[in-house]
Amino acid sequence: MKNRLSPPFAIVIGLASALSHAQGMNAPAPAPGAGPLPIPVVSRFENFGEKDGIPSHKVHCVLKASDGRIWIGTPNGLCVRQDNGTFRRYGTEDGLSHLTVLSIAEDPATGDLWIATLQGLTRLSGGRFTAFTQTNSGLPNNVVYGVAVAEGTVWAATAAGTGAYDLRTRAWKPYDQTNTVMNEPWCYAVAPGKGVIYLGVWAGGVVEHDPHTGTFKAYRDPDGEFHIALATDSGPIVDVTSWVAYDQGILWQGSYFGLARYNTGSATWRTWVQDKTPLLSNFVNTVFAHGRLGWVSTDRGVSVTDGDNWVNYLVDKEGRGVVRIYRPGKPPETRMMTTALPDGFIMAVWADDHEAWFATSNGLSHGVFTVSSDSSALTSNP
Amino acid sequence: MNLKRSLFAVTTAALAFSVVVLGGGYGLRAHQRIRSGRPDLGLVSCTHCHQGSLNKMPWAKARPHHDSPGGMVLSPDGKRLFIALDDKDEVAEADVATLAVLRRAKVPGGPFGLALDAQGERLFVACQHVDQVAVLDTSDLAEKARVSVGVRPTDIAFCPTRGGERLVVTNSGSDDISILSPSPLAEVARVAGGREPYAATVVDGGRCVYVANRMAVHDGQLAPPASEVTVLDPASGHIVNRLALDSAHMAEGIAAVPKKGWVLNTMIRVRNLVPITQVKDGWVMASGLAISQADGAVTQVPLDEANASFSDPSGVVASPDGRRAFVASGGSDVVTVVDLDWLNSWLSRASPADRGDAIMDMAFSYHYVLARIPTGCNPKHLALSPDGSRLFVAERLDDSVLVVDTASLKPLGRIVLGDGGRNDPIRQGERVFTRARYTFQGGFDCRSCHADGHVDGLSYDFDGSGVGDNLLDNRSLCGVAGTEPFKWNGRNPTLQFQDGPRFARVLMRTDPIPDPQLDELATFILHLPPTRTIPWDQVGKPLTPAQQRGRDLFFATKRPNGTPIPRSRQCQVCHRPPLYTNRLIASVGTQGRRDPKEGFDTPHLIGVGASAPYLHDGRARTLEEIWTVYQIDDLHGVSSYWTKLQLNDMVEYLRTL
Repeated sequence: MKNRLSPPFAIVIGLASALSHAQGMNAPAPAPGAGPLPIPVVSRFENFGEKDGIPSHKVHCVLKASDGRIWIGTPNGLCVRQDNGTFRRYGTEDGLSHLTVLSIAEDPATGDLWIATLQGLTRLSGGRFTAFTQTNSGLPNNVVYGVAVAEGTVWAATAAGTGAYDLRTRAWKPYDQTNTVMNEPWCYAVAPGKGVIYLGVWAGGVVEHDPHTGTFKAYRDPDGEFHIALATDSGPIVDVTSWVAYDQGILWQGSYFGLARYNTGSATWRTWVQDKTPLLSNFVNTVFAHGRLGWVSTDRGVSVTDGDNWVNYLVDKEGRGVVRIYRPGKPPETRMMTTALPDGFIMAVWADDHEAWFATSNGLSHGVFTVSSDSSALTSNP
Repeated sequence: MNLKRSLFAVTTAALAFSVVVLGGGYGLRAHQRIRSGRPDLGLVSCTHCHQGSLNKMPWAKARPHHDSPGGMVLSPDGKRLFIALDDKDEVAEADVATLAVLRRAKVPGGPFGLALDAQGERLFVACQHVDQVAVLDTSDLAEKARVSVGVRPTDIAFCPTRGGERLVVTNSGSDDISILSPSPLAEVARVAGGREPYAATVVDGGRCVYVANRMAVHDGQLAPPASEVTVLDPASGHIVNRLALDSAHMAEGIAAVPKKGWVLNTMIRVRNLVPITQVKDGWVMASGLAISQADGAVTQVPLDEANASFSDPSGVVASPDGRRAFVASGGSDVVTVVDLDWLNSWLSRASPADRGDAIMDMAFSYHYVLARIPTGCNPKHLALSPDGSRLFVAERLDDSVLVVDTASLKPLGRIVLGDGGRNDPIRQGERVFTRARYTFQGGFDCRSCHADGHVDGLSYDFDGSGVGDNLLDNRSLCGVAGTEPFKWNGRNPTLQFQDGPRFARVLMRTDPIPDPQLDELATFILHLPPTRTIPWDQVGKPLTPAQQRGRDLFFATKRPNGTPIPRSRQCQVCHRPPLYTNRLIASVGTQGRRDPKEGFDTPHLIGVGASAPYLHDGRARTLEEIWTVYQIDDLHGVSSYWTKLQLNDMVEYLRTL
């Protein structure tokens, strides 16, 4: 029996996805396992690598900008996908502060890109690069892991605290263990929430900061153990935070020891670890939040979840693409794909309702969601 | 006996006097050495430390105000001309037919840039002294609304967009650009510009707006400067492009050229990295026009001639048919008429090399300069009637507007706004300041490097000992009163000395400025107020916590562990308020390879936040770099105990001075 997604089913998936996004507006949640899968499914992967102009096999991060252009960060510079499908590279000779690009964020107000590198933060505006370093500006440290822009402020998570750069006053405000509740300054990620900022602190859990009141609140692992989750669903999975992401009231915490989710509306936590849950791996590089979905980049593939349903993308030993779907109350479904991610080690994801882009350790991949014309891309269960 | 007694008395008195004088002198010297932390210090004037109140500075006192015309805009029917009078806080309305001033309206805050809506019903006014945009009803010139924008707005452009009407405002003091919705008047976005966004022009009916940035971006001590032309989409607020005007600064005029798809920028081609001796070869400053084409290509062409310069190109307008451009040369009292058709033809056949070399060829302007129209003093802003038949030239230091028939290129008359301030020595000094006739072939004037008296952000090679390796940072003249001696070596006790015969020989390469004019020049400079670096609505407000922490560091006498900081390395000892200088030579470990001495004049810090780069040769691009890159052994203030947070606090405090 072939396990194909029929056209009506694809449409239903889209509607269900939209419905799931509307849940925040008091729409009744479907019973667990009932109804269509509320997660879009990738039908095929289109892969890009060094042959396409990407200057490294490794891609650290990916961003689709508001003008539709795809930007990626690599260990060998910043790249943008051109109209002909090839990638144009920018390096230090163009003004990038360092070749190793770790994270990219777009300022929604201006379209400027802010680029986190191993040696400073770089702004790309109107084709011109401007470097901010710890010596020429108030940036706390040159090693910038994560960057985000919200409400006229650029937030840079660095190895010596998080720096907030006010785009109007051009003043830098550093946040570290001396002026916040964080127990150490090493910040890995920053995620703007609703009126607050979430800081992912390497061994300090997640710090919530309200810039308007100047207050801080630390979310810490309740059991304090980072090798084992003794207290599930009660706080961050561990204190070691590798990433934070936020959208529509849902905060995700990635860690090298599992995944956690915080529902800011109900103030409830859920945690996942591999083997005991569908989470592909405890080694979570990053999480991308879109709507109520978390796209979780791990060393064994991508897990996509709304907390109840899961869609995992793996690459088997033969290099074939495998998708596993978990729905509450139902046995897992495993389907073979006609295409596969270029590698199982996923660095980062960018996704919306229509497509997904995957930064992997062996190139970039474009995930095309299931549509009527290519529903045959998924083959039967092995 | 009497003689003996007298002798004794005289001797005793002399001895006593000597003891008092010598002892007093010794005590005074000891006091100065202790208080300055400088055991090497000779006897200096008490005023180095006891500076008095800033209220007594010349710039703090009341001065005459003049009807200096700033921005101008014509009504859609071409019958009325609106003129901004920033020094008088007024906007004037003149009848174009009779050249009479019909009425004036009070618009507080230094109205400078003007724009009209498409119907000519709303006049938008950029008020540079209070960081606001005001809206006037043109029927009665009554103010209807006001909104805050960035620091020191200088120009405003009205444009219809796919997202509705927009206003684009150049905030010269905060290096950003405000995008406003006119109805209701509100700021919808603010984007980063280049350095000192100064003027804006609308292209393609509002598809995009080009912004001229007056100052060059400083990107390294030995890197040639470049001014930016910022291209933005006013509908989305996104930056579309940042064009570079290579080796250009003072790019303060901008105009879209109809029918050609060009944007013109006035600019000074500056070569600050060659020895200043090259002034006589026309190598240091040349006036030019930059042509930005739709594909992003930028070509610079000269406005100067082989043996005549037309300094301080400022306002520029293009005729409605796109065939001619008019350029005001503020330092030469001339409007140059440019044949754009000839340039179009040349551009169509010029090779990239030809385009690159054009700005170097002073004979090139012969081909496209159609005429030089003499004007009154310091022509700045220009405006053209909608049909292109009348050119209006703001003669800023004559308080008048010259009206020119663009067909005959003959003057038709003047709109007289004021008396020109002939009896005001400050105004007279400003005329000297902006007059190029005192320099070799009229190549430049004081304003060419000190727009509004401030800096141009460049370092110049003043010594002639080599190409580009002995630079001196340009220093602001704003708030300079009371901070003598001048020059980085502290040799010039007065401004007259500074700008006198030696200056003429070294820099101007001409005869010195005559003494009466030199005195007027000094008077003008001494009346230049400090540059405002903070938003108007923050003036007089308490310091923020970060600024206060920075201030505490500035005035710190001990490290956190209680160890005293030597007085000679406390910030506030050398940069002593209220002038933030003790006017002494100090060595802070910055002597360069070619610097003959290790000591330099201690600069005042008023307005320091807006005067990058820093240190005597401009090696520090930012305030942070003074301590993160160029600090040696805590010689420039004890900073080794500062955390990054404290350094940021210090910078925040300095930016308030």
